[in-house]
Amino acid sequence: MTNETQTTPVVMRESKNKIRVEFERTALKERLKEKFLSTYFLKNTVWYIFRLFLLIGIAFVVIQPFITMIIQSIKDPVDYRDSTVVNVPRNVSLLIYKAIFTDGAYLKFFFKSLGLSLGVAVLQTLSCCLVGYGLAKFKFRGAKLIFFFVILTLVVPHGTLQAAIYYYFSKLNLLNSIVPLLLLSATALAFKNGLYIFLLRQFFRGVPDELEESAYLDGANTFRTFVQVILPISVPMMITVFLFSFCWQWTDDFYLNLFFISTPKPEFMAFITQKELTSLVVTATQAGVAFETAERYAFGLMACIPLIILFLFCQKYLVQGIERSGIVG
Amino acid sequence: MTQTVKKQAVAPVKKKKIASLDRRKARAGWFFVLPFVVGFALIYLPIIFTSFKVSFMTMEQGTRTEMFVGWKNYSDALTGSADFLQTLLVGLKEIAFDIPAILLFSLFVAVILNQKMVGRAVFRAIFFLPVVVSTGMMEGILSTSYSFSGEGLDLGAGESAAETVKTNLALEKLLQDIFANLGFGEGLVEYIVSAVESISDIVNRSGVQILIFLAALQSISPAIYESCEIDGATSWETFWKITFPMVSPMILVNGVYTIIDNFTTDSNSVMEVINSTYGSSGGKYVSAAMGWMYFLVVLLIVGLVALIFSAYVFYQRRD
Repeated sequence: MTNETQTTPVVMRESKNKIRVEFERTALKERLKEKFLSTYFLKNTVWYIFRLFLLIGIAFVVIQPFITMIIQSIKDPVDYRDSTVVNVPRNVSLLIYKAIFTDGAYLKFFFKSLGLSLGVAVLQTLSCCLVGYGLAKFKFRGAKLIFFFVILTLVVPHGTLQAAIYYYFSKLNLLNSIVPLLLLSATALAFKNGLYIFLLRQFFRGVPDELEESAYLDGANTFRTFVQVILPISVPMMITVFLFSFCWQWTDDFYLNLFFISTPKPEFMAFITQKELTSLVVTATQAGVAFETAERYAFGLMACIPLIILFLFCQKYLVQGIERSGIVG
Repeated sequence: MTQTVKKQAVAPVKKKKIASLDRRKARAGWFFVLPFVVGFALIYLPIIFTSFKVSFMTMEQGTRTEMFVGWKNYSDALTGSADFLQTLLVGLKEIAFDIPAILLFSLFVAVILNQKMVGRAVFRAIFFLPVVVSTGMMEGILSTSYSFSGEGLDLGAGESAAETVKTNLALEKLLQDIFANLGFGEGLVEYIVSAVESISDIVNRSGVQILIFLAALQSISPAIYESCEIDGATSWETFWKITFPMVSPMILVNGVYTIIDNFTTDSNSVMEVINSTYGSSGGKYVSAAMGWMYFLVVLLIVGLVALIFSAYVFYQRRD
């Protein structure tokens, strides 16, 4: 008995790279009904909408100060004297931002901070990766003690040790330079480095031993295994540590104020708020106290924007699914 | 015929002592932690020692010499005017509520931000903002500002960014304005405002934790999820059987970090007491003593919590 289910596809047109075939399909209406009226699709849509509203709601709470900062800093000076204009600017002007670029020498601050933050962040990432890996995968006497010291450096805030840190580096005659910061970063003692070491240690402990053992079998020594096998799969973690240390160094005023004691302060991003916008002094006196705050808001935004751009750029590397290939069965 | 062969002295073969594999790996371990050990011994220990020494001294009246007084500073701290113990107990109660809230919230948000969706990069950038704002210069910018709701100059000196974000930038007032005009009852408005404020507080303190969880989620390969889906697991089951165990090492990290952060930020009541005592005349010695006692307590609490958490953490190791 022949089973006449479907007619075989009929080839209509054939060329080198394409084939056009005509075959039997279920009707369009049925297909659409099947796709869009199924429970799977409806459940997913409800979840997507719910998720979107939830995220927008929470994001609003986070972003509200920034919206205020943006709105208050793009108001035209006329609006500051007008007390009816509070949250919606009637006239928009970017003159504070223009002044930041010209009077405030924003670019000089930018590049200097960029150099320092990059150096510090790279040093911290590398040293914390090394220390984290050593604590995670090697059993040696004193490993627990060293880990305790790492947590100790995290618990004791540097604010409390301020005077002692200052005294130590002034004895070594290293004040007014970036050397103390670089030194602290290279030895994994800088701001919140204990967290990075702890984080990387936990992450490396979660990496299965088989990966390294297969590398050892192939004759690699421990350092080579570390660089060629372990580091590539820990890219998301390293990017996270790099982002944290870069951002915290970029907006840092505590260490810069501690180590750079002579005035004038060098051009790092934390000191940009002390810059006088000379071209706006007249406008400032006319517009009142609120204008000063608007200037500070503008400074703050100009400092944050490079960080956000950096984060968006690093998104590319925070991609799921860097395969842990090499382990079978 | 037997010939006695003179036994020749055989030169003893020098056995080259090759260290066992364990010992070689131990040496490699020391090599990896070398930067920290060197830095700790040469830089951090002297600093700690100086600060510790200060807590045992005080300045003599009149002259400017410092003299050793033993445990006097410590007893002063415990019995003195600043109610150190009281604030410590209050702080302990606070963390019992905050830690689970922050951990659960940040895990939830990280799982959501890990899914593919429209505008995911924008949302991730938005949740990254509290990390930027929480320290350094942004704190200063957000804390001494003119309150734009028309109330006049509002110098919120000494408050942390999280608090001033709430007060000076008038989220509370904004909400109250919105709801007052809508005609809701007073009690309902107050409840909503306090709920939003606590949400705002938690969100602004979870920036770091969200990013850490996000990074941990990315290192789970999608092949595992695919095989789960093929085997017919629902997303709830997948979460509890796959995602949660693989992320559990980070739960330990985030738990410890949240506790430490909570106890040592400048806006913590105990830290405020320590800092204000530091500023008062001759107070820097008592402040150092207070600080060291407090940090010891924090270490103990952290150790306790870490012990509890580690029992539940899952590692993919054979041992």
